[in-house]
Amino acid sequence: MRISLFHGSGGKQTRKLIEEVFLKHFKQSGPLEDAAYLTVPSRQIAATTDSFVINPLFFPGGDIGKLSICGTVNDLVVSGAEPLYITAGFVIEEGFSIDNLNKIAQSMAEEAEKNRIKIVAGDTKVVERGKADGVYINTAGIGTVKRRFSVEDVHPGDAVIITGPIGEHGLCVLIEREQLEVESPVKSDCESLYPLISPLFEIPQVKWMRDPTRGGLATVCLELCEDTGLGMVLFEEKIPVREEVQFLCEMLGFDPLYLANEGRALIVASKEKADEVVELLRKHPSGKKAGVIGHITDEFRGVKLITEIKGERFLDYFEEDPLPRIC
Amino acid sequence: MTILKKTRFQEYADPSEIIRLINKLNTPSQSVRIMNVCGSHEHTICRNGIRSLLPKNIELIPGPGCPVCVTPEEDIINAVEISNRNGMVLATYGDMVRVPTQAGSIREKAKNLKIISSCHEALTTAKDKPVLFLSIGFETTAAPAASLFRMGPPSQFYFLSSHKLTKAAMKALCEDEEVGVDAFIAPGHVSTITGSREWEELSQNYGIPVVIAGFGAEDILSSIALILFMLKTHNPKTENVYKGVVKKEGNIRAQKLMKEVFDITDTRWRGLGTIENSGLELKDSLSPHNARSSFQWERIDDEDGLCRCKDVIMGKAYPHQCPLFKKACTPHTPKGACMVSREGACNIWFRFGRW
Ligand code: SF4
Ligand code: SF4
Repeated sequence: MRISLFHGSGGKQTRKLIEEVFLKHFKQSGPLEDAAYLTVPSRQIAATTDSFVINPLFFPGGDIGKLSICGTVNDLVVSGAEPLYITAGFVIEEGFSIDNLNKIAQSMAEEAEKNRIKIVAGDTKVVERGKADGVYINTAGIGTVKRRFSVEDVHPGDAVIITGPIGEHGLCVLIEREQLEVESPVKSDCESLYPLISPLFEIPQVKWMRDPTRGGLATVCLELCEDTGLGMVLFEEKIPVREEVQFLCEMLGFDPLYLANEGRALIVASKEKADEVVELLRKHPSGKKAGVIGHITDEFRGVKLITEIKGERFLDYFEEDPLPRIC
Repeated sequence: MTILKKTRFQEYADPSEIIRLINKLNTPSQSVRIMNVCGSHEHTICRNGIRSLLPKNIELIPGPGCPVCVTPEEDIINAVEISNRNGMVLATYGDMVRVPTQAGSIREKAKNLKIISSCHEALTTAKDKPVLFLSIGFETTAAPAASLFRMGPPSQFYFLSSHKLTKAAMKALCEDEEVGVDAFIAPGHVSTITGSREWEELSQNYGIPVVIAGFGAEDILSSIALILFMLKTHNPKTENVYKGVVKKEGNIRAQKLMKEVFDITDTRWRGLGTIENSGLELKDSLSPHNARSSFQWERIDDEDGLCRCKDVIMGKAYPHQCPLFKKACTPHTPKGACMVSREGACNIWFRFGRW
């Protein structure tokens, strides 16, 4: 079965699609209302929204559905919030397979359940063939604020920590899209950060965090330096990169520092607490490779990379996106 | 000099140890300009921040290390004109199609374009359609291109040779006072074809040390140490630190093949102008396949405008000294040839940092 324009007409077909695909997976029953009523346990709410236009829709380690939940959850998490509710809007291209739509909805449901969040509202629109690429998803999420992070708390001497190996999502999508034949497939790191990160909310010396998605680790570091007016030193040998990722990047001419991640966080914590933070992260299976990769300094502005042979180079933004449609 | 011996024989040497040696061999008051003529060497230098590890008086200059950068506008524009006029497919490599010229790029202007990743694809395309193959590259790609003519190409296969010989450019640079090259790091891949003996002429006639290097950071560092040692002892020679891979006589079969198909000729380099005996042209016996002589050919001079590619290729300017670098000129919107290919100096500098 395929999606037709009738599925987006707002009539019976639309209702059927919503019931048989989305409501089935999202475990909602009862009448379809125009808005969802939500109860929130606190007065401090964080809200975020993100759209997902990734190509291809399915990739090793995830699909656009899982990504659309993780992406929004992670934005909340690195803002110090516990995610509660999510909404999902779909723009579907005429002719899209309903089987695939089911798969996508199912993985959204699974990911939401894992994170104990509810998908509370949704919308579907269908556009003519050729006017979209399969399916686009927009998600919005809200959560209760547990901690407030601010760049103003970032000071010289603070440690810079990464929660795991970098570059995997970007490289995985590239390999899938270009259908490159590689020996060991690279899996996307696409994952919700909530279980890994939430214990850190309790540590006041954890000052700031961000998920290095598009533009990769380098871009997030550059932005932090710009926002704080400070500098950062990164040690190449300390930045975890899986061997196969490093190898393929060198072959294909990519730099893992600039490739997107979908399940990692960059954290700034005081020097004294850094080891404790790393230890805590490593207790979780997704944080096994966590480590301190550098520190904040006021000796210069920008991001200086100390290379493996102890040479130095300053990182810079890539003005253009080396990989569009990555999330 | 035990560590030099060690690195000479490709044994493991710790980078910090080599750097200590470099400092020991260095004469701080004497400027040393070491040029590389290979995009991959420049890549290694930038990626590892090798310049930051060297004493101030030692300069590493990127030279004409990328075949895309040195292809003159004349060849590109004529390739487009001839193929369009005669209803031919223009076959060439991906990077070439984006090189800006005064008459636009191949991508913008060619009516029938086939982007190839190996020269054999050009020949396959010529099975059903007339093809003009714009073939570029140093010795490394000239040999496979020559092999096409052993396969009996169809009569509608036209070859436009823009092949260049590395040594000829290096000689021209030695003679240019303004460039002032004190030593060369010679390209690893090219040397596998030509052999290490190719460069001996340079060290003998110009008194310039030449070291053939592989592509790791240690390879570059030990070449620098070796160069300083030769300069200090006033004993310029051609040395090979890429021993396992490069032989003295090179790849004899490839050399024979090239001799069979090509004659050495004067040719123009973007940036460097015409250099004597620096290019490869199809032999007269193959002239029915030669696009340059079979069709009307227009003489066109390179036009640089604000772009300083010419100086970058010559080693007279670093990429960041160009007013367009990272501003109007990016890999996405190249204003000069050096920004197009991943082996072009400007492209490499763009990707590896803030300068
Ligand atoms: S072909 Fe090889 S040796 Fe020649 S410039 Fe390119 S990388 Fe260097
Ligand atoms: S930055 Fe661009 S315009 Fe300037 S020299 Fe390099 S390629 Fe030419």
